[in-house]
Amino acid sequence: MAIAGFFVFMTTVGLLWSRNVIYSVMFLAAEGLALTAMVWISDPLTLATLGIGIATLIVKAGVIPGTMYRVISQWPSEYRRDQPLPFWAYIAAVALVLAVRHVILLLTPSGIILHRPLFFYGMASIFLGLLLMISRRHVVAQVAALVAVENGLVVLAASVAGALPTFMEFGMLIDLLAAVAILVWMSRRIRRQFNTTDVTTLKFLRG
Amino acid sequence: MMEDILYGLGPLVVILLALLGHRYRWERLRQMVAVWVSVVLVGTGALAYGGIAHGHFSPILVMLTNLVAATSAWDSVRWGQEHPDMRPRRYYLWWALFWASLITIALARDLAIAWLAIEFSTLASGALIVEMGNRRALEAAWKYIVIASVGLAMGIIGILFVYGSLRTQGLGWQTLSYYNILHHFHEISPIVRETATILIVSGIGTKVGLAPFHTWLPDAHSEAPSPVSGLLSGILLGLCLVTIDRFVTAVPLPAETLFSGPHLLLIFGTLSVVVGTLALLVQRDIKRLLAYSSIEQMGIMAVGFGVGTPWARDAALLQFAFHAVIKSTLFYIGGHLSVVYHTKRLDKITDIVRQHRGLAVAWAIGILALAGLPPLGLAYSEWMILQALWQDHSTVVLIVLSAALVLAFAALLYHLLRGLWGGFEISARRDDTENREPAGLLDRVPTLGGVRH
Repeated sequence: MAIAGFFVFMTTVGLLWSRNVIYSVMFLAAEGLALTAMVWISDPLTLATLGIGIATLIVKAGVIPGTMYRVISQWPSEYRRDQPLPFWAYIAAVALVLAVRHVILLLTPSGIILHRPLFFYGMASIFLGLLLMISRRHVVAQVAALVAVENGLVVLAASVAGALPTFMEFGMLIDLLAAVAILVWMSRRIRRQFNTTDVTTLKFLRG
Repeated sequence: MMEDILYGLGPLVVILLALLGHRYRWERLRQMVAVWVSVVLVGTGALAYGGIAHGHFSPILVMLTNLVAATSAWDSVRWGQEHPDMRPRRYYLWWALFWASLITIALARDLAIAWLAIEFSTLASGALIVEMGNRRALEAAWKYIVIASVGLAMGIIGILFVYGSLRTQGLGWQTLSYYNILHHFHEISPIVRETATILIVSGIGTKVGLAPFHTWLPDAHSEAPSPVSGLLSGILLGLCLVTIDRFVTAVPLPAETLFSGPHLLLIFGTLSVVVGTLALLVQRDIKRLLAYSSIEQMGIMAVGFGVGTPWARDAALLQFAFHAVIKSTLFYIGGHLSVVYHTKRLDKITDIVRQHRGLAVAWAIGILALAGLPPLGLAYSEWMILQALWQDHSTVVLIVLSAALVLAFAALLYHLLRGLWGGFEISARRDDTENREPAGLLDRVPTLGGVRH
């Protein structure tokens, strides 16, 4: 289970490193496979875990990366590359990963953490995903970051609760699927209407 | 049981009407949806009457939701005529899903269900904003979905911590029912309770539009279709705040805890009142004016829930009810005004009294009610919240809130008067001049808020 968590963490690091969004989509597919493996090896295989594993495989390793790939592959190559990350983002990434250790020290006495390495990988993936959302400028890279946060949440859930109730697992999966479908649809429209994939060009409105 | 069937059937029938709507003219489809939602509203009133009479939260919230949904559906009829490019089938499909998520949040007795419904409401309402089809709407929807999703991700971490602490109960998803949490909160260690509270209040607070997490709100609410803005501002924000209150009530923390739920609500609430009020003074867009007013109003409600006494919570709920009705109506009127004037700029929407008397009367009553003019509703609930603050000896918050209410009153009155009569003198003079002699060059110069530049 820890290996699967480590794999999710490493693929999130891969998302941070990758400027080509095609690679980002491949990293997401790899995360989906790791999460499926985690579901199947974490508990004795029951009908519920089998169902959750199959749904995870279909949605996170198949439909989500597939949908994103289908859209990106139709774009000219200049729309598939993101800008380089600013230097502060790398420093922030290291600081955030180190901060997880502090969170673990803070929460360990409460007895909430069942699996410390898994908690580390889950929380670190969430932090890196959130960092990606504010530092990446490509629309699809931001969608990938949102999926990475969600994947980190699944790992975190396994570390504090063993497994989530089936109802919640499916609910979160459906929510994520709907979110990605809408955001990818919007990404297409942004590229068409703004003739760019850079979210920093969305400047009509000021909060 | 009957109630659940009715609440489920409401959005389902709208979805069916949207899917099979190609058989009817668009106008007929819109009218059919409006009539059906009104039927659901009447049914809700009949079935939930007992609960409403006894002051139970959930029936009141569902009644309010369906009331504003009905007005939104009726306003969609006129709004649809004003926006012939909007595809009604897709509009009503998303609208029904949005409505379903609102009903679910109102009825949720479980934190997990509430979270899922709030997340889904973001997606459905975001899609409705995209349906406007222009660049501004696309940008607003993107920011809305991304920022709200990040906030809700924070919230779910808090929920996972609560679930993890109570996992040994083996109750499955019912572990997260408010009733169960309230009766077993002492099994959750204080540090986990505090962390979860910070994450949930901030996370779902993002969806409420509490400052400093409010940046998406003015964009999304101003670019959404007006009938949807009414639902977003009038209902969704308040329901998310009620969800926070339900959690905070179920997981109490010692009074000396710095970041307890009530403290966070008071801090974010006061900050929202200040930010919302100051922004009212400088607004130039009719829908953004209403959106910033929503931030201010949510701040007032958050303060009410933060004080936490029965009187203050009743006041906050009353504020929610009055705000829902007034703000949704104002969004509808604001939408029609922006259509008849072909702009959303407040400095162009002037002389309403002479040009659109019906809209002027409704707009004036709505803005005066929103400003808190007695005897209109919000004056009463705001007074109750001030009274609760006085009794709670929260002097600083009381002073800030009082000053903000005075400023908000002045700002709204300024925008109202400028809208009703601004440009009146100039246009009257122009009419007079046109009657006497050909208009001079000076009279052709555009006016800004009634003042010639």
